Amino acid sequence: MALPNQQTVDYPSFKLVIVGDGGTGKTTFVKRHLTGEFEKKYEPTIGVEVHPLDFFTNCGKIRFYCWDTAGQEKFGGLRDGYYIHGNCAIIMFDVTARLTYKNVPTWHRDLCRVCENIPIVLCGNKVDVKNRQVKAKQVTFHRKKNLQYYEISAKSNYNFEKPFLYLARKLAGDPNLHFVETPALAPPEVPIDLVAQAQHEAELAAAASQPLPDDDDDAFE
Amino acid sequence: MASTEPEHEHREDEEAPAGEDEDTGAQVAPIVKLEEVAVSTGEEDEEAILDLKSKLYRFDKDGNQWKERGAGTVKLLKHKESGKVRLVMRQSKTLKICANHLVLPAMSVQEHAGNEKSCVWHATDFADGELKDELFCIRFASIENCKTFMEMFQEVAESQESKGENEDATVAADALEKLSVEEKKTEENAGEEADAATKNEETKADTDKEDKPAPST
Repeated sequence: MALPNQQTVDYPSFKLVIVGDGGTGKTTFVKRHLTGEFEKKYEPTIGVEVHPLDFFTNCGKIRFYCWDTAGQEKFGGLRDGYYIHGNCAIIMFDVTARLTYKNVPTWHRDLCRVCENIPIVLCGNKVDVKNRQVKAKQVTFHRKKNLQYYEISAKSNYNFEKPFLYLARKLAGDPNLHFVETPALAPPEVPIDLVAQAQHEAELAAAASQPLPDDDDDAFE
Repeated sequence: MASTEPEHEHREDEEAPAGEDEDTGAQVAPIVKLEEVAVSTGEEDEEAILDLKSKLYRFDKDGNQWKERGAGTVKLLKHKESGKVRLVMRQSKTLKICANHLVLPAMSVQEHAGNEKSCVWHATDFADGELKDELFCIRFASIENCKTFMEMFQEVAESQESKGENEDATVAADALEKLSVEEKKTEENAGEEADAATKNEETKADTDKEDKPAPST
């Protein structure tokens, strides 16, 4: 389900539609998977952004084309026009903002009008925040509508791989599918460039004086 | 199939205990049929000489700030035959590669200002399958682990250096020997007398300083 201007790949790929209210963390979640970074700054998505995201599994390499859609109504673009030919979906809400959970049924209804019988994961994001407004026990929508539910945190990476793992298992019909190490290819030798090296050293010295973005946060796995 | 080193298999893949991940999803028909394939870590011919939990950052030059790259396990892997050492870091759970580069003599790991649990270095990284200049910062859970990492990194970089120098020296000596033989011939032809041996010694020293022979000779 690649876009016309996107290269196609010779391994299985799936169109994944990501929906949910603005500010629930859809873009941050996708970016976290793409580059590892955690973007704190909120910039609303306009329309849609499509990103290929690859995983290595015991059944080979697979790709999700992540359709990261605008949550804010005013930037909605084609709205459910983006859902067509979706193979799977994530509905995201923010456990620290009750209204975002209240709107889940609307997102679900719109999605199901276009995509019938696709695997869907409901994600309650930001579970790292102490002051939750939606407690785990209050989340019941997935039971009524037969969705899978995960509590996640794009900030702490809690359960961050689970939505993709679940969807991959459903799409392949294989409950034992799991992620495996991406092969670490031998890095090629690079000739030493003394001029460039001096520049890197200067840049490194400057970078070494910059603090880390999460210096305060000592809890990591 | 899979890995020949089963202890690697699930080390990062600490799944929640069964039952916690209750499947409440609808029954949907699969859309692809995938067969199990042989998997390779790419690390089969290497030995881990260091293996620590850590968090890796890369420097974003445009934004003049460190950005997270991944949290997982950093390893220094020594090749069983060539003796070359590379740094490989994988994201936990997804097991994707955050860093993959050789540890070379020109490299040096440095302290990160104001943080004893982290340190910085430059590398030409191959994590995404293309060479990219990156400034990395790595943070450990303890000061001790950071020290261990820095010492090991530096030790490896220096050992690669001495190995390289020795090779160069051998090559240089061979080349010089050839040179002096040739010179001897030339001198004999020219009919030059006097202490040829001494002269040869001098020439040797001069050659050594001036033109270092290419390693390919």
